[in-house]
Amino acid sequence: MALLEIKNLHASVAGKEILKGVTLALEPGEVHAIMGPNGTGKSTLSNVIAGREGYEVTKGQVLLDGEDVLAMAADERARAGIFLAFQYPVEIPGVTTSAFLKTALNAKRRAAGEKEIDAMEFMKLVKKKTEALGMPYDMIKRALNVGFSGGEKKRAEVLQMTMLEPRVAILDETDSGLDIDALRVVSDGVNSLRAPDRAFLVITHYQRLLDYIVPDHVHVLANGRIAASGGKELALELEAEGYAKYLNAAA
Amino acid sequence: MKPSLITDHPFGEAYAKHLGVAPWRGDLPGPKVEEWRFTPLRSLAKIAFAPASEDVDVDAIPRNVPRIPGAVRLVLVNGVYRQDLSGTGLGKGVEVFQGKVAAKQGSSLVALNAAYAPASLALHVTAAAKKVIHIISIGAAGSQPTAFHPRINVTAEPGSAITLVESHVGLPGETYFSNPVATIAVGEGASVRRYVSVDEDSEAFHLATSLVTVAGGGNYEAFHLGLGGALTRQEIRIALTGENANVRLNGAYALRGASHHDFTTVMDHAMPHCTSSQVFKGVVDGESHGVYQGRIHVARLAQKTDARQEHKALFLSRGPAIDCKPELEIYADDVQCAHGAATGEIDENHMFYLESRGIDPETARALLVEGFLADAVNEISVEAVRDQFVADIGNWLKRRGAQ
Repeated sequence: MALLEIKNLHASVAGKEILKGVTLALEPGEVHAIMGPNGTGKSTLSNVIAGREGYEVTKGQVLLDGEDVLAMAADERARAGIFLAFQYPVEIPGVTTSAFLKTALNAKRRAAGEKEIDAMEFMKLVKKKTEALGMPYDMIKRALNVGFSGGEKKRAEVLQMTMLEPRVAILDETDSGLDIDALRVVSDGVNSLRAPDRAFLVITHYQRLLDYIVPDHVHVLANGRIAASGGKELALELEAEGYAKYLNAAA
Repeated sequence: MKPSLITDHPFGEAYAKHLGVAPWRGDLPGPKVEEWRFTPLRSLAKIAFAPASEDVDVDAIPRNVPRIPGAVRLVLVNGVYRQDLSGTGLGKGVEVFQGKVAAKQGSSLVALNAAYAPASLALHVTAAAKKVIHIISIGAAGSQPTAFHPRINVTAEPGSAITLVESHVGLPGETYFSNPVATIAVGEGASVRRYVSVDEDSEAFHLATSLVTVAGGGNYEAFHLGLGGALTRQEIRIALTGENANVRLNGAYALRGASHHDFTTVMDHAMPHCTSSQVFKGVVDGESHGVYQGRIHVARLAQKTDARQEHKALFLSRGPAIDCKPELEIYADDVQCAHGAATGEIDENHMFYLESRGIDPETARALLVEGFLADAVNEISVEAVRDQFVADIGNWLKRRGAQ
């Protein structure tokens, strides 16, 4: 059984159909990349899977280990193991990164029937994870994402991912706004999480990210459908030739 | 009959007779008095309050009163100092005694307090006080509506320093009305930190007046928290009377049900080169009503004043109301004054972000509310007190979840 299965997914925003039958299966251990031009439904797909309000699923299914994801509230999906690394992480004044991380981690632990993490253990864990991502430990004392640079925000997303250890991680244009050094650090963080029981869905506009996070499968999303699928060489082809032929074919 | 006054109130002859003192001849402010426009006292005036009866026995400090590490507790029950419940070992730098209550002219409520306050709890600060003083005012009505009038006087001598915490709480029973007056004189170069938490019983009335003077080079830092009570007003009047005095006055309130809370502040800059800053934040739910009135007065002499004031409120539902009235009266020309006010709701994008990390909606909302209040609460410079106030707000939020 696939770890994450998307079956004929149709979704609308404000009455306008954006996803028109997306089908995709992520096996454990795999990295799938979704590429496509702007406005083709890439972010809609990630938001629908994560459970953001304002998206209406009109048809189809999303299954995590065979469980109906669409029937769960957003927080339940996260505790079940879905993680969305946001393209634009929001700034939340007054809420420290550390309070937030601890609350999220304990929510997950409680759901798994584990005991809550104590302060010392938490500190140690954060120290280890921030070091690995080349982040100063003190950053967790700052308000969540407030005043963070683009690169810091993306690192903070990856930090959360490494703390929460999801089953399925969706990276929504994680490369946007990153310089080459930050891209490498973020990619290293993602790669360190690659595991036989975990899958990734990497949504990106550019092939560049896929030099660092090498996918097993690449899909082209055009006009709300998967227009083509292939191996990592498909990304290179898209980079060279653009999306025009898929847009025309789909139209 | 004057429409600006409530003459028909329970604090006249009969009340005075119970106490065996001369009656208060004054009246309560009515809705036509500008400063009381948003906080009507009619419902209070209709209740047959009597002085606290002697047979109400309180033999312990309620458990929900926080224990501030290293602090000495001074306890008032229905406004009367209770040595048997109070701690000892004040340490150097401060003396505590029961003083006379000056029949000073002031607002109606200050005069009412002066008429019926049994004695003042007086603190004389002579040097840098070794210990934090924690004043606990307990309201206990028993079987009939009870009024009481705590009076706290703090005199900080030049160069002295002290940290005060005040907890205003109540015991379940009939409704009560606490009418505390605190007079605080910060001497030249002295430093007073005062952290007030009002968490009265849900049926109680609390109308507090703080009268503060800060002499040259003096520092006054205060934080006022309002969490409970049916009707609460914390009126804080501060006069900066010498050059280079600094005041930081901050506060937060969290309301639900039909609670009403009013912060009224008057910052009076009389002398040059002084600074004052105010950050007030409120969270409102249910059918509650929050009020912030902040007046900054800068006298012509008070050049180089830097005075700032901010009030922000967060609505947790559509039912509550907020009234906010900033007033700047500036008669000096070389000053920096600013005020800001805003209201808003919880940002759905913030909620989704937290939920997408597995945090349930109730906890997510609590985190965001604490976060909203944080930039006021973080102004508390004593960590143990800040932690306590954060915990108090956390408990308020849990009560919300339990409803």
